[in-house]
Amino acid sequence: MNRDDTDGSGQPASAVPLLALRNVSKTFPGVRALDDVSLDLHAGEVHMLLGENGAGKSSLIKVLYGAYRADAGTILCDGRLVEITRPADARRLGIAVIFQEFSLVPFLDLAQNIFLGREPRRPLTRLIDHGRMHREARAVLDSLGLDYDTRALAVDLGVAQQQMVEIAKALSQRARILVMDEPTAALSERESKTLFTLIRQLRASGVAIACISHRMQEVFELGDRVTVLRDGRRVATLPAREATPDQLIGMMVGRAVGAVYKRRQYGKAGEIVLEVRGLTTATGVRDVDLNVREGEIVGLSGLVGAGRTEVARAVFGADAIVAGEVRIFGAIAKGGPERIAARGVALIPENRKLEGLALKRSVQDNLLVASLWKLFPRGWYRAGVARACARALIDRLRVTPPAPRRMVRVLSGGNQQKIVVGKWLAAGCKLFLFDEPTRGIDVGAKSEIFALIEDLVERGAAVLLISAELAEIVHVCDRAYVMRAGRIGGELARTELSEENILRLAMHGA
Amino acid sequence: MPAILPIGLLLVAGALVAVHGFASTRNVANLGLQASILLMLAMPMTLIIMSEGLDLSAGAVLSLCSVVMAEALAGGHGLASALAASVAVGLGFGLANGAMVSLLALPPFVVTLGTLGIAEGAALVVTEGNAVSGLGSGIASLYALDVFGLPFPVLVALATWLLTYVLLHYTRFGTYVFAIGGNRDALVLAGAPAWAYHIAIYAFGGLVSGVAALLLTGRMNAAHPTVAIGMEFDAIAAVVLGGTSFERGDGRLLGTVLGVATITVLRNALDLLGIESSLQVVSIGGLILLVIVIDRLRRSRREQVA
Repeated sequence: MNRDDTDGSGQPASAVPLLALRNVSKTFPGVRALDDVSLDLHAGEVHMLLGENGAGKSSLIKVLYGAYRADAGTILCDGRLVEITRPADARRLGIAVIFQEFSLVPFLDLAQNIFLGREPRRPLTRLIDHGRMHREARAVLDSLGLDYDTRALAVDLGVAQQQMVEIAKALSQRARILVMDEPTAALSERESKTLFTLIRQLRASGVAIACISHRMQEVFELGDRVTVLRDGRRVATLPAREATPDQLIGMMVGRAVGAVYKRRQYGKAGEIVLEVRGLTTATGVRDVDLNVREGEIVGLSGLVGAGRTEVARAVFGADAIVAGEVRIFGAIAKGGPERIAARGVALIPENRKLEGLALKRSVQDNLLVASLWKLFPRGWYRAGVARACARALIDRLRVTPPAPRRMVRVLSGGNQQKIVVGKWLAAGCKLFLFDEPTRGIDVGAKSEIFALIEDLVERGAAVLLISAELAEIVHVCDRAYVMRAGRIGGELARTELSEENILRLAMHGA
Repeated sequence: MPAILPIGLLLVAGALVAVHGFASTRNVANLGLQASILLMLAMPMTLIIMSEGLDLSAGAVLSLCSVVMAEALAGGHGLASALAASVAVGLGFGLANGAMVSLLALPPFVVTLGTLGIAEGAALVVTEGNAVSGLGSGIASLYALDVFGLPFPVLVALATWLLTYVLLHYTRFGTYVFAIGGNRDALVLAGAPAWAYHIAIYAFGGLVSGVAALLLTGRMNAAHPTVAIGMEFDAIAAVVLGGTSFERGDGRLLGTVLGVATITVLRNALDLLGIESSLQVVSIGGLILLVIVIDRLRRSRREQVA
């Protein structure tokens, strides 16, 4: 392969990029998803996009495909200014995207899925030409070395097969610009190899390829150039052969955490509260061992899809355990969420709006909902007791404004999160499983949430903190486990905790 | 295979044995006539339900279409313009349903509950609550027409089935019915105007109602403002009995046809036995639950194996 056309700056010699983003920005309420990002895609190159969770890779792809509209910046195709406001615009320009979340229709067959939106029709009747559609679908699948039946329904395929059909779908568009979001995440080694061969063929035929990956090995095996994103900004673009894994990881890390949260003191670990051995679930957790002690904040990190949430759900009894055991205060935990919660375990879910709060009810109602039987053992509601209890919790949690009757929906994200914690506090929980407690809340509120979490462990609770933000794990936890593909990739003690070390464990082959 | 087939066959066998006069030539012809209007409502209803929707207004809109057609005929207009007026009213309601569901993302249940009320009320207002008669003989003789040995209503119903089949399996519209129910985002990302196809699904339902009014009006050579109220219940029941899924964009027209046949046989047999209409509704309700429970039990067993 001739790759001598790149000069030292990482810019291929070929003059005009096929596609160029110039100073693109995209802001969501409270989040700067993309901040002044520029990116060139040249014909015949594989351009790898690297970054932590939330660094802006997916937003970038969505802007390219017209799923998001950029607030600022321009897109050039063949050097000409273009507007991409809808997916149809992107298609017309020859851009095809393989998204991570699948875009197959379950009860259509493979040919129908591959040609969705572009069904070949007979000239006179305008009816779909099934014969031609299946022939062409067959040809695309053959070029990928896949022997799937084009008449099989998408719903009957496994995840890896669906991924390959997604790729076939993009290929059938004869795209000049192909964008892939973690295409190998669901594939086996052999399928990945097939895909790599194909990507190289496409590169040789002049297609520009952008590829998000979390596997360091792939970056060097496939990539001509690498762009690293962090916090919505481009850190650097450089030729892959000049980069080293450590250098790239160094560029990826360095996110600020709530003006760098400082622990008041690190825990004096007490007795084991939670002990998980050989945990395996149908949701993808494989043979996980971990423990959490009294007075400890233990991190559970890893990239999106590594299985962190699934571990918490299994511990809480929300997902069935296939093998292994969970012990809480030394006794084996069995049964669903109600029985686990009754033993003093609280799960503060990632999506607090859906799973953790009754948004249209008052602060007081939400705070007390899990402890009504404890407060009123005879089943009679006493307004005075309820109000006093709610007031005490509001003070302790520093909810602002301190108004027990306010509807939860109108509170800020940080205050809502405090209410969820308060609910379980009132119920007397001793083990807290936090799943991304700071997602979508502002910097100041993050510090308050961490102060609250530290307050919990100082009073003897045990905390398992799930977070995709490496800096949070590094600054807040006593120690941490890092997951990779459903397994524990390693454990890091307090002294070993660094973003680099976490990423190294979280990424393949780093 | 959905559970409806053996249950339907069992029902037919039972009716043959136990119901006097069920197999008579006259009754068999009657079955065909009774099934034809229901089939016409159930065909578009299948598409609507496949798209994760529902149309509660179908019966009321059909009644209104029939009233409009009858008023036009009674006012001295020709059959063609009466049909055009009926189709226009049906299409209007379908477009309104579709626009609210697709563009405003309102729940189909609520939207079509509203249009049900409007259509039902409008039919009562137009007729002042009375039946409309004096339509001349044109529509009645069309209804009584035999084409190649098939009664005209049966022919129209079969044509609707064929049309719906071609739409569903040989056009982009049909492909996108599966997509809207199964994964609407996929369709949007494919660059297709999903919103327009979503409206078209409901519009198709309204249009077919407008045509079905021809059969309903011709059958009695009159129209009554509440004659088809509640027929959406039978139509939805037929779709559900036929195994169409409410949430995954999966469905089959043949299943709906079997559902229509089963409901028609059940109602007809109960009629012959002298059992009143309200008890017939009870038995259809029971039948739906029976079939759903059987399907669910069979599915959970299959999932255990897998």
